[in-house]
Amino acid sequence: MAADQVSTGTRAVESVRTTVGSLVSPASERQREIRRIVALCLPFSVLLLFSGVFPLTEMFRISFSESRLVTEGFTVEYYRAMVTDPYYRNIAFNTLWFAAATTVTSIAVAVPVAHALEKYALPAKSVILTVLSFPNSLPGIVAAFMIIILFGNTGILSNVFAFLSGQSRIDVAIATSVGGLFFAYIYSMIPRALLLLRGTYAEVNTDAEEAARVLGATPLQTFRYVTLPQIKPGLIGASILVFRTGLAIFGTVLILKGLLVWTLQIDRELAQGFNIAQASAMATVWFVFVFGFTVLMLRYTSAEVSI
Amino acid sequence: MSGRFREGSLSARFGRQFVTLVLALTLFFLAVPVVMTFVSSFASDWFGVFPTGFVTLGNWEDVIVGTGVGADVSVGSSLAYSTGLALGGVVINLIVGVPIAYAVARYEFWGRDWVNVFAILPLAPGIILGVAFLRTYPDLSTSGIALIIGYSLLKAPYMVMAVQSSFQSMDLQQIEESARSLGASWPRTFLTVIVPNARTGIIAGSIISWTLAAAEFNFSYIVYSRGTPPLAIFLFNNITNASFLNAAAAVSVFFLLIALVTIALQIIGNRGAVRRI
Amino acid sequence: MSEVSLERVTKRFDSTVAVNDVSIDIDDGEVMGIVGPSGCGKTTALRLVAGFETPTDGTIRYDGDDVTHVPPENRNVGLVFQSYALFNNMSVLKNVTFGPKMHGVGKEERRERAHELLELLDIEELADRNPKTLSGGQQQRVGLARALAIEPHILLLDEPMTGLDAKLKQTLRQELGQLLDDLGVTTLYVTHDQEQAMSMCDRIAVMNEGHLEQIGTPAEIYEEPANEFVAGFIGTANLLDGTVRDGTLSLGFEDVDTPEAVASNGAVTVLVRPDDIPVGSGPIDVEVTNLFYQGEHIQATGELPDGRELTLRLDRSETAVGIGDTISIDFDPESLHIIESTR
Repeated sequence: MAADQVSTGTRAVESVRTTVGSLVSPASERQREIRRIVALCLPFSVLLLFSGVFPLTEMFRISFSESRLVTEGFTVEYYRAMVTDPYYRNIAFNTLWFAAATTVTSIAVAVPVAHALEKYALPAKSVILTVLSFPNSLPGIVAAFMIIILFGNTGILSNVFAFLSGQSRIDVAIATSVGGLFFAYIYSMIPRALLLLRGTYAEVNTDAEEAARVLGATPLQTFRYVTLPQIKPGLIGASILVFRTGLAIFGTVLILKGLLVWTLQIDRELAQGFNIAQASAMATVWFVFVFGFTVLMLRYTSAEVSI
Repeated sequence: MSGRFREGSLSARFGRQFVTLVLALTLFFLAVPVVMTFVSSFASDWFGVFPTGFVTLGNWEDVIVGTGVGADVSVGSSLAYSTGLALGGVVINLIVGVPIAYAVARYEFWGRDWVNVFAILPLAPGIILGVAFLRTYPDLSTSGIALIIGYSLLKAPYMVMAVQSSFQSMDLQQIEESARSLGASWPRTFLTVIVPNARTGIIAGSIISWTLAAAEFNFSYIVYSRGTPPLAIFLFNNITNASFLNAAAAVSVFFLLIALVTIALQIIGNRGAVRRI
Repeated sequence: MSEVSLERVTKRFDSTVAVNDVSIDIDDGEVMGIVGPSGCGKTTALRLVAGFETPTDGTIRYDGDDVTHVPPENRNVGLVFQSYALFNNMSVLKNVTFGPKMHGVGKEERRERAHELLELLDIEELADRNPKTLSGGQQQRVGLARALAIEPHILLLDEPMTGLDAKLKQTLRQELGQLLDDLGVTTLYVTHDQEQAMSMCDRIAVMNEGHLEQIGTPAEIYEEPANEFVAGFIGTANLLDGTVRDGTLSLGFEDVDTPEAVASNGAVTVLVRPDDIPVGSGPIDVEVTNLFYQGEHIQATGELPDGRELTLRLDRSETAVGIGDTISIDFDPESLHIIESTR
């Protein structure tokens, strides 16, 4: 038994040695190939290490620090606050339901739009595509400004609603309410969802859809029984990514306020007394939650992810 | 029509109209504010239903020259500064992004799928990475170096994807094997055959990651402390502090930038990359 | 089962005319083939019958009823795709019961009907399999069973044999032909493969560039093509220029009696099939320029005295013939067919 362990140990050391050795002076083409793969992945790994893993680790460490500005001692005070303080629990709840609701809405809008783009002969299609993808390059703060243009005090839709309801347009302006923030979120999220779903839609087997039609299925039944099962992996993948996007929104909510979400509170911890330890703890919780969520979803659903 | 053939179902008759309506509303929702922002940036005021007092260049002048109040600096210096920072990020992206895209596209290896996920999924969003940087590299934040390396990590996925889409249209194994059978060493093959063949993807990826880095607000906002504000911070200052129409002009400057980039990408002819922005 | 007809149907896409003033009547229980090169409009014609395209002009009738504007799901047609287009998210049985389910057939009855069809097509043991795991031939049968399950007015087959290997094609062709005969189902069979169409169809419509060139039984199409296109598309054809004068056909190197009634004197095109040219003895000498061994026979290219090329068919036993040799041939006036229309 013990001898076995020793030999397993030596074998492990031996295999590490041969691996290293083959990287330094490879003999077979496969070994040379492995060396190339390592060389190709190295630059990215270095970047990931120095600008990703190391800062996140430091962030993780200070979130347990007793001192606010340097990593000292060990305390779970900041995490306890997040669990016990109803203030933080409320923020977490807001963040999650709001991201979930906007994700569902964005996907619900993006599916018919992707359908139309793929199936219908549309006039000026390249213009339509440009309009639909343009917001993907806009930062959240600009999305917020777009909502002010639509729903602000002099907003276009505020004017329309004021005219329709006979109220003052200041009363119907919803830009800085939860409703306004909702539209600002989906302003960023619909184009993102669309980007993902268009790729999925392009791969749908149109013959199978036509087969369903001649077998007597209405367009809606065809969608339900034939198209939907085909786009399901893409739909789940898109929902995961759009949900992540929704959780990460910050600039938009910084301008519109509307709802106190996790990211905004992180900024407040920093802005009001530079409580970096609490901010780090919140950021850590965010990171661990989203990372774990993504890994689990990719592992246990049929999701296809392509950003 | 004979009675034997039923009239179309609800979805056969109205499904198309419904879907088209959703498309039209979405287009309205996304496009109208962009157009109105641009139009109103040439107006002198907007108190009524529509902006009035056309055509004035006052708002643009305030943005381009600077007013000394509210948005206190001109767009020029911010734009130049952001251009530099984003370019730095692009250089790093090229060095890290092209090789890993090739590794994933060309070779089979253990853990390839996960390497791919890490390469194309942003590890952490701007605000989280910002907090981490603030803690880890507090001294770098004033020099812009923190911004550069942060941008490069945040935007690397876009570079990787653009390059990958170029690689996918090439038979990499055959190209690599034919170059090597002709006597080129592997590094030489990579640099003189593979990379030039993927240049549309590389250029598109560079333009995309540059634009997104110049537009990155969340990370910049947390990390930036003083000195010339990056473009996104400049926009923020305008939206929150300047007059409404000045803000419209500032945002319009940004729109023009995006429009230029889109045109540049279309000239490269990489429509796939345009879609990906 | 029923009669299906296209009446002066035209379909335009933007600037191209995919189907141009085409009329085809398919009788009850008939197997009608549409053949033609790719891009001739045959697939569009099929999609018009199925209802996926609406004609720009003209009418489509099922048993005399105008269905031109009826959506596909209400037409009750059975369509077998080139790709089979099976639903990979359902089992074979679910694929077959899908149509009856959409038509509101009860659960028990549709299962029963599906099992009958699977049995008929000899694939009952595949009922619970996923279509992805089946071979091409098996997938085709499932596609056929699925299409037949709705008891269609008409069965539409779109290049159903493409993508199968030659041997399997042969077997399936026989089986499918037998099955269509047995079922007596009105069928429209679209293919670019004229051989398949000839062996399976009661009548064939030849299309080219959106036009209907000829419609007739396989024998009519082969023996009496209406024009050069049909002659060239169906089988191997030698097309020779000739002149008719007072009952005599002059081919330049040989004069024969005019084989059939010709309306007027003047220039004509003459069709002669390679297998109708007796080789071995005769007044015409041909120099062999090329030989293609084809297993069952040998195809030869020969040069006529005036330099024109001629395709010949040699018996497999004539292996002594080599390139450069001269062989003698004859023309049987009976086997010559004069094409008047040179559209």
